[in-house]
Amino acid sequence: MSQKPIELILARNLLSSLTTPAFLVDDHGALVFYNDAAATLVGRRFEERGQMAASDWTEQFGPADPEGRPVSWEDLPLTKALFAGRAIHSKMHLKVLDGTVHEIEVSALPIFATGGTRGAMAIFWPVEDGPQAGGPK
Amino acid sequence: MKVKIWGARGSVPSPGPETVRYGGNTSCVQVTLDDGTLLILDAGTGIRGMGIALAAEAARVHIIVTHLHLDHIQGLMFFAPAFRSESEITIWGPASPEASLRDRIARYISAPLSPVEVRELPCEVAFRDCPETEWEIGTAHLRAASVTHRGPTLGYRITADDCSLAYIPDHEPAIGASLENDEPDWISGFDLARGASLLVHDCQYTDAEYADHVGWGHSGLSDTLTFARRTEVERLLLFHHDPMHSDDFLDTFYGSALEGWAERGGDPVALELATERREIELSAATDPLGSR
Repeated sequence: MSQKPIELILARNLLSSLTTPAFLVDDHGALVFYNDAAATLVGRRFEERGQMAASDWTEQFGPADPEGRPVSWEDLPLTKALFAGRAIHSKMHLKVLDGTVHEIEVSALPIFATGGTRGAMAIFWPVEDGPQAGGPK
Repeated sequence: MKVKIWGARGSVPSPGPETVRYGGNTSCVQVTLDDGTLLILDAGTGIRGMGIALAAEAARVHIIVTHLHLDHIQGLMFFAPAFRSESEITIWGPASPEASLRDRIARYISAPLSPVEVRELPCEVAFRDCPETEWEIGTAHLRAASVTHRGPTLGYRITADDCSLAYIPDHEPAIGASLENDEPDWISGFDLARGASLLVHDCQYTDAEYADHVGWGHSGLSDTLTFARRTEVERLLLFHHDPMHSDDFLDTFYGSALEGWAERGGDPVALELATERREIELSAATDPLGSR
């Protein structure tokens, strides 16, 4: 596997330290990391799953819109942020391994650097759970 | 490939009787290839002595800077070949969206910090952003990659004469990461260093000092040793000595380094502290003691 760009390495270092659930994708949209807080949403630590192609993680995590309709990979905030090159904020739902559905808010940011787009990161706020541990009370 | 250290100190020049053996000049390493190609890695104050020592006929030189912190460019204004009209100097460095390499270096080589402006240099000087892909200078294949430090900073790998030199003088790969456990592709600088004949790497702090300097962009001893063992380099040269570290301190530090290196399974002859004027000759089957 080739060396990750330094911007993704630094983003992973940051996200791994956060108690807010967060995803990181590379410039192709492959899921290259999610943190332990996100693991509580999706039911398994990233280290147990490893990197996932865009189609795989979209299917497994079952993102849906507020009406419960599946959200295609192209319409996910993370994907839009990556390919539109701008910040995106929206609400959606995640279906996790135990079959439960979580309503979440998502903020997604593209990661630009000299040489082009490196990837994008998304931070999640589970709506039903209120403020995150370690976050504002 | 011959490697000569002209400056191994980090942060700020630290001349004086306490640093006379390891040297007080800041980062500068001369690389001379078998075909005569001359590469200069960083232009700290060590480049001044190198410029004096260079023969006048060495008219074409490439200066390859890792980043633009002052301890890596301060010697540029005192590099004798820059004041010879027959010299052709190419300065390579990290790109930045903020300004060109020339304009960023000119902030130092201009008033009020300097009596000389870049445009007044009598030599022929060119500024080049390092490509994202491998490029060639003479018989050398060079690769640059961004590494963990403060501000845009590159590490380099130079492959020539059937051997390879990895030069990462300012580097904090351990910040937010586990050097023991993370996958190689997630460790800053890993590909640059992997299997290199010689790794010249930041080792500014003791482990105790590093605890108070996390995020400053430099490495503590244990992290440097772990990085070198994980990347399976043939030899390791500890570099970028802290200006507060005297010769006596560094002697003791080297003892600690040897212990840590042995604990990690390293061969003691493959580890040393960078010392000014030290010359190392690399070849395909590098003799760990091959030096002058």
